[in-house]
Amino acid sequence: MFRILSKSLKTGVVTEKDPFSSRPPFGFPVIDFNSCTACDECVAVCPTAALQTDRPAADRKTLSLSYALCIQCRECVEACPERAIHPGREFEVATHSREQLMQRGSFVVDPATGRASFRGMDARPGPSLEESAARLKERIKGRLGRSLHVRQVDAGSCNGCELEIIATANPVFDLERFGIHFVASPRHADVLLVTGPVTRNMEIALRRTYEAAPEPRVVVAVGACGCSGGIFGEGTYASLGGVDRVVPVDVYVPGCPPRPHAILNGLLVAMGIHQARSGPGGAELAPQPVGASPPSPHRPLMPVLARGTPE
Amino acid sequence: MTAARDVLRGRLGLPELAELRPGEFAAEVKREQLPAVADQAAGAGLRLATLFATDDGPAKGCALHHLWAAREPPGFVRIWTRVPADSPRFPSIAAKYPVANWFEREVMDYFGLVPEGHPNTFRVALHDDWPDGFPALRKAFADEQKVPRVPGNNPHPFRPVLGEGVFQVPVGPVHAGIIEPGHFRFGVAGEPVLYLQLRLFYVHKGIEKRFEKLPWRHGLFLAESISGDTAVGHALAYAHAVERLTGVEVPRRARYLRTVLLELERLYNHVADIGAIATDVAFAVPASRAQVLREGLVAIQERLFGARLLRGTVALGGVKCELTLGRRNELLVHLDRLGREFDDLVKLLIDSGTFTDRVDGTGVLGTQAARDLGVVGIAARASGLDLDLRRDQPHDAYASLRFQVPVEEGGDVRARLMVRAREVEQSLSILRQALEGLPEGPSFTPLPDALPASSSALGWAEAWRGECLHWVQTDEEGRVARVKVTDPSFKNWPGLGRAVPGNILPDFPVINKSFNLSYSGNDR
Ligand code: SF4
Repeated sequence: MFRILSKSLKTGVVTEKDPFSSRPPFGFPVIDFNSCTACDECVAVCPTAALQTDRPAADRKTLSLSYALCIQCRECVEACPERAIHPGREFEVATHSREQLMQRGSFVVDPATGRASFRGMDARPGPSLEESAARLKERIKGRLGRSLHVRQVDAGSCNGCELEIIATANPVFDLERFGIHFVASPRHADVLLVTGPVTRNMEIALRRTYEAAPEPRVVVAVGACGCSGGIFGEGTYASLGGVDRVVPVDVYVPGCPPRPHAILNGLLVAMGIHQARSGPGGAELAPQPVGASPPSPHRPLMPVLARGTPE
Repeated sequence: MTAARDVLRGRLGLPELAELRPGEFAAEVKREQLPAVADQAAGAGLRLATLFATDDGPAKGCALHHLWAAREPPGFVRIWTRVPADSPRFPSIAAKYPVANWFEREVMDYFGLVPEGHPNTFRVALHDDWPDGFPALRKAFADEQKVPRVPGNNPHPFRPVLGEGVFQVPVGPVHAGIIEPGHFRFGVAGEPVLYLQLRLFYVHKGIEKRFEKLPWRHGLFLAESISGDTAVGHALAYAHAVERLTGVEVPRRARYLRTVLLELERLYNHVADIGAIATDVAFAVPASRAQVLREGLVAIQERLFGARLLRGTVALGGVKCELTLGRRNELLVHLDRLGREFDDLVKLLIDSGTFTDRVDGTGVLGTQAARDLGVVGIAARASGLDLDLRRDQPHDAYASLRFQVPVEEGGDVRARLMVRAREVEQSLSILRQALEGLPEGPSFTPLPDALPASSSALGWAEAWRGECLHWVQTDEEGRVARVKVTDPSFKNWPGLGRAVPGNILPDFPVINKSFNLSYSGNDR
């Protein structure tokens, strides 16, 4: 007994004061579109089609990057011959739709040389982050105070995401101090925290769990798999893909797996305490129609710190 | 080398045995000879490491493979036979060798081949509403194929409960804690558990089929996602298979760094598990100490290797991470401190009578049962089976490092805890040796552009939970034709089923945790 007590006293407080202060060496890739020539090298090495190019017309090319699919393998950073892809250090990415996790740049192809040069970012389809946030707020309308009961549902994950969700409750992150608790039954839950590509064998269980949760039943999809099916793909005989293929999703937390900090951030977004963020260079880059004057060359897109502070 | 081949050939009573490459042997036998060869192999002390089928196209048909592991001389022997299309069946060995039970039924479920003489031919992997037919791992079955649901097509036969005061407790697939999905059906008489039936495969993601669709270089990322807590173990097993297939020699420095990664993975999982066992008996102080130690490890892993769970660190042909002298020293200092704190933690646990009361004699898996079921890894070593591929068939840098393989006889929760605790000590010593002796030089050998055609190779790694095996086969054009993934959980789940009956239901969580098996690795 005495040993236990002295151990506890000697250890002191281990909880991180600000869980959002530590940055990973690598969060998500950030494309400096101005240096990019849409050469397809990164597309070839990407294991999940997070990077894709398209040729809508003979003289047009697009390159898109979706964090929903990105498993943070860093292959593209090394593959880019122009060194246009940087290892971004931002990790607190959480959005309200899959589209908000995507950015697409348009390129004009010179017919003589075949070389593509960047013209501007395409407008993102669907509602903006602010619109979606307002909609979610309207839906939960004061029903979630500063306390949140979370039921975690593994709908097919590899268990990597579970390890990081468990870590959010450890003494270092201690998510209980934010008023967030994990509960044993969906009937007690405000939020379902769902991981994994939804497997065929978990589809019905996930639906039932969703139906068992009381309104407003906010759903947070965690991980590349939860956001898009990730490395397991979407629509195979065994994997249906992202959680939104089965139940409506309110918050997307990408990453493979997302760090505990990112999961915590996602839950705070669901509570309306943090603002949703689509990641480096996504929201900050105002959409420009193709043909408008290109942005000044060699200006890398600036990653922006959480809560709007420029780095 | 050929001496080893001749010894094994003699023991198995085979006229021919091909040596594919060091430590890997293969022989084709007639279908009806399979049981006799199995008897020979088992009699000569080999153990069945995995069993699987392949579909080699319409001309050749399917094949069934038994992979046996020999300890002396060390080697894996693959005994295989053709299964022609007009007679889709093979002789079962499950009645005699229970380890083959789930393997053969999985072949039945995914290949549509019938194990003749199997004592229990109910589905194991396919769920009730999967229609008859549709063997998903056959070549004719497209990955994107939509298979209709037929509710109640094949209701899973749960054992009936009869008698006064005897009832069933169904649990899952969605559990109360943050764990993976699976269904447990307990038959109980009051608190004591009479039997436990497992219904798994809820998280079957079609990984083996997916390997056939992805380019072989991308297979590495899929391997990392077979079981998130064993990212390094599975990545290494896949990388070893591809490297053996292409004949690429991994540089010494990379072999040492891989060893460092695999041991770090062992360390963070063992520490977390010991904490989780304490949590399940409500001993909060050591539980949170363990969580802090585990968090310290993954945090330094992120700082040094770029990923908390060590994803993306293993590359085909080497490693994708570097370790400068300064960072190496930082890691050494961290590990020293961890070692001291860990000793305190273990003392705190085993000196506490209330703790040992709960773990001593709880969830016993006897040696014979463990051997029959083919249990591997920590669970095997806690039940008195002295197996460890790091010593028996060394990969990476293990042949040049000194370490012991801790074995406990008890087979209970305490034994599994103590195997982990003693392995942590060994891991720390392995890490110290590997870090201090880290050779200079390249950390990577580039691989050829293509895999050799019509070839196959086995890769293995002794990960923290047990052995991960990847068998990779290519077709005539050098594309991946089949990857058979064997996660240690697949062989250990039946061990859990055996260890629980006779205990009280409230002890189930701690017994389960002491095994800590992967659902995803099992279901794939
Ligand atoms: S996102 Fe990554 S860690 Fe999470 S379940 Fe998928 S593969 Fe596993």
